[in-house]
Amino acid sequence: MKTRFFAIVLLLLAVSLGAQTTDTQGTLKVPDAANFVGEPKGTPLTGDALFHRTNEVGALLRCPVCQGMAISDSPSEMAVNMKGQVKELLARGYTEEQILKYFELSYGQFVLLKPKFEGVTVMVWLLPLIALLIGGAIAFFKFRKLEHAPQSSAAVEEPAPLQAGEPEDPYLARVRDLVSGGKS
Amino acid sequence: MNRTVLIVGGLITAALIGVLFTGLGTNPNEIRSPLIGKPAPTFALREVGTGNTIDVNQFKGTPTVINFWATWCGPCWEEHPILVANARRLQPNVQFLGVVFQDEESKILGFLQQRGSGYPTVVDDAGKTAIAYGVGGVPETFFLDRNGVIVAKHNGPLSADDLQANLQKVMN
Repeated sequence: MKTRFFAIVLLLLAVSLGAQTTDTQGTLKVPDAANFVGEPKGTPLTGDALFHRTNEVGALLRCPVCQGMAISDSPSEMAVNMKGQVKELLARGYTEEQILKYFELSYGQFVLLKPKFEGVTVMVWLLPLIALLIGGAIAFFKFRKLEHAPQSSAAVEEPAPLQAGEPEDPYLARVRDLVSGGKS
Repeated sequence: MNRTVLIVGGLITAALIGVLFTGLGTNPNEIRSPLIGKPAPTFALREVGTGNTIDVNQFKGTPTVINFWATWCGPCWEEHPILVANARRLQPNVQFLGVVFQDEESKILGFLQQRGSGYPTVVDDAGKTAIAYGVGGVPETFFLDRNGVIVAKHNGPLSADDLQANLQKVMN
């Protein structure tokens, strides 16, 4: 009888403690991606696929406390937390696009290591192309001008031979003298 | 041809100088939060010391200051007395809330016992709340208006002037 009584008391105590723990944990709430980017649009990942995909998506996100480092490569606690969040979202079936959007909504485009093709960042993509086109055009016109340049302009004019009795340039005579070793 | 090269080169140089000049006026550490003007992400976290759950929604109707910090962060020590003094002066007209992440509860309790506390502090265990708020490094402080909309964000330690300036934005 006594044993049964203690068993019931212990059971009630365990249930009470369990309920208390569940209650405390149950009321805790962290911001959920679903409130920002909607329900998952992909397939939940597990195992190796989840591990590899976490690294791939993590390589696209900048660690906010590092110098231009992806969260996949950074050992900082912030990056580890962010990578953990990426892993959790992939496991829930969120797509790469949804995950990048989720981080962009809180950190801005700064968090994306690959800038998007929109707004001011369009210039990041277009400027190298524009510079290449301008450089190519300059080189093209320069070469074309060289090709069409008259050949005669480059030819060296021969001095006219001296006429009989015409006095030679004294400087030229001196050079001629030096070259011949003073034999003339 | 030399004239064309000069003009194109001049234009490119002028554009680069223009970009550099526009950047000179901005603080590279002050990255504008995309959350400004939007409802603050909601959370309910465990309060340090009591274990009670504090839901940020319960502060709706009161301007709220949410300060992300940690005990290992030097600048957080610097701003702590300013936050505590203002919380004691302004509460209940303004609600202050500390959110600690990447830290240990025993260290947080020790810090608060030693340096004083004037408002509740909750623990963000996995840093998910910090991530949702776009927190890069601590301290970072968010100022919410009565409707729970983020009106301002301050990166780095708050001076008394910074706090006043941002409080004016949420109390108007």
